[in-house]
Amino acid sequence: MKRAVAMAQFQVEVVANRALTGGYFVLELASEQDNAVGGAQPGQFVMLRGEWGRDLLNGRAFSVLEAIDARRFTVMLKVFGRGTGKMREMQPGERMTVTGPLGRGFPQPDAQPDGGAGSGRKQLLVAGGVGLPPLHFHARRLVGRGKADAVEMFYGGRSAAELVLTEALDEWGVQTVLATDDGSRGVEGRVTVPLTARLDAAAEAGEAVEILACGPTPMLAAVRELGLARGVPTSLCLEEMMACGFGVCLGCAVPVYGPKPYKYCCTDGPVFDAKEVRW
Amino acid sequence: MSAPTPTATPVPLESVELACDFGPLKLRSPILTASGCFAYGQQFAEFMDLRQIGGLSTKGISPLPRHGNPLPRIYETASGMINSIGLENVGCEAFLTEKLPFLADLDVSVWVNFFGTDFETYVDCAKTLSEGGEGRIDVLEMNISCPNIKKGGIEFGTVPEVAHRLTKACVEASEVPIVVKLTPNVSDIVAMAQAVKEAGAIGVSLINTITAMAIDVRSRRSRIATTYGGLSGPAIKPVALRMVHQVAKALPGFPICGMGGILTGEDVLEYFIAGAHCVQLGTINFSEPGAALRVTRELRELMAELGIERVQDAVATLGGYEAEPAHAEVSPWA
Repeated sequence: MKRAVAMAQFQVEVVANRALTGGYFVLELASEQDNAVGGAQPGQFVMLRGEWGRDLLNGRAFSVLEAIDARRFTVMLKVFGRGTGKMREMQPGERMTVTGPLGRGFPQPDAQPDGGAGSGRKQLLVAGGVGLPPLHFHARRLVGRGKADAVEMFYGGRSAAELVLTEALDEWGVQTVLATDDGSRGVEGRVTVPLTARLDAAAEAGEAVEILACGPTPMLAAVRELGLARGVPTSLCLEEMMACGFGVCLGCAVPVYGPKPYKYCCTDGPVFDAKEVRW
Repeated sequence: MSAPTPTATPVPLESVELACDFGPLKLRSPILTASGCFAYGQQFAEFMDLRQIGGLSTKGISPLPRHGNPLPRIYETASGMINSIGLENVGCEAFLTEKLPFLADLDVSVWVNFFGTDFETYVDCAKTLSEGGEGRIDVLEMNISCPNIKKGGIEFGTVPEVAHRLTKACVEASEVPIVVKLTPNVSDIVAMAQAVKEAGAIGVSLINTITAMAIDVRSRRSRIATTYGGLSGPAIKPVALRMVHQVAKALPGFPICGMGGILTGEDVLEYFIAGAHCVQLGTINFSEPGAALRVTRELRELMAELGIERVQDAVATLGGYEAEPAHAEVSPWA
């Protein structure tokens, strides 16, 4: 299990709990000492638990939205159940336990699937709903390295309120196409509508592109189909129920093609090549 | 009326001795980690010094590798979780060559949990591990209780005569002592423990998970792909304690490794008082990979506070309540 940064478990304090539109919120967390999440790669995640007793037993997995510095990072989430419900109510100063960074992140735009450099493929980032954070982080990192034009963002939600953190994308100069189911912002329809058009244009122009996607499973399934049908390299950032996050509980199996029928979202992923996912 | 509280005279922390016996085995500490919750140990080396735990029980090993069950495999419930992983493991051969060397180097008690899919494969597995272990395995923990395999199995863990026959065959095939991990999904746990004791097991591990389910009312499907799974975590501790106590009472001195929902040093002491000689930590490892060391520290501090110098001074020491004065319609003080 080779990782760029060793995983660890450590305490953090909630610095801020910022509400966004659409029920989303961003938790900013900080540790007293430098922590390993400072070196997290986009696509990596953390397991978070508050000091709320063991009625809620295990940590909850969240992609890193931003590693601000060696002590501070953020996650973005939405209330889905009791754990996230408690997190929505957290106040600055409250403590949480973090395990991370966990998993393997997205491929870099200058890397080829075989590990070689210089593919020069443009990365089409496809985000849906709560799947935004790892792609937002990925775009941020590339912008920080002066590569805003290495990516284009395709971001979909049910309505305008569910599209968040788009100002940063504009500010960074990341070309962004928005889509909403109700047409209240951007293109009306699923995010796969503008994505399909973009893929067609790329094919016509002979432009090399690849897809990095994160979002609800039906969206990922649709994106996977698009990518596979066109022979476009596609990476999917998946989410599965997990108890530990570091390869022990074996709860987060992902069906794959290959010598073994399953891989693990936490240690083999969460980013998988669409070709290997057995959906 | 409350029970008389034994007067606790604290002892210094350094006079607490955690080294203890489990039948013929010497343990550095009574705190081990449980099968299925610690993989083959390597992942935890990133979080703590594994040499400080008493020992560990591996993921259940079968003669051939197994790939496990379809998704979803786990679901969290109040104070617990349900799992149906399906006994996924690397198989005997890969375990012996790829996993065991790491464990042997730790110099802790190595318990290899194993199972078969029928009588013969159980015995083969015990024999292969015993021989291939070459002295590096301290205990073969025989799993006759996993709720998550379809083929065979269930009567091994629930019918005393069958458990006896299987245990006896494995004991005869193995140079390594056998501890049998029992399922709580029986009506008479004592009969099961008695059966495997008479068959030559050096002790029992109590308890495996409790068969359970949870339902998604929107999809009207089980939260677990195989419909039922095994419940673990603090939700099951009261059931486990009761079973440990029943077996300890019926079979005094027979080594019991207690497990089920241990989160703290105080939980461990409850297990000792109920009659366990050592314990395993399971589900807590998922959310707190360094838990074994914290719980060890807590146990030591609590033993010092309560004046318990050695583990065996606490084992099977459950007290009773004094009988109430007989009822009478008229108070004798009237």
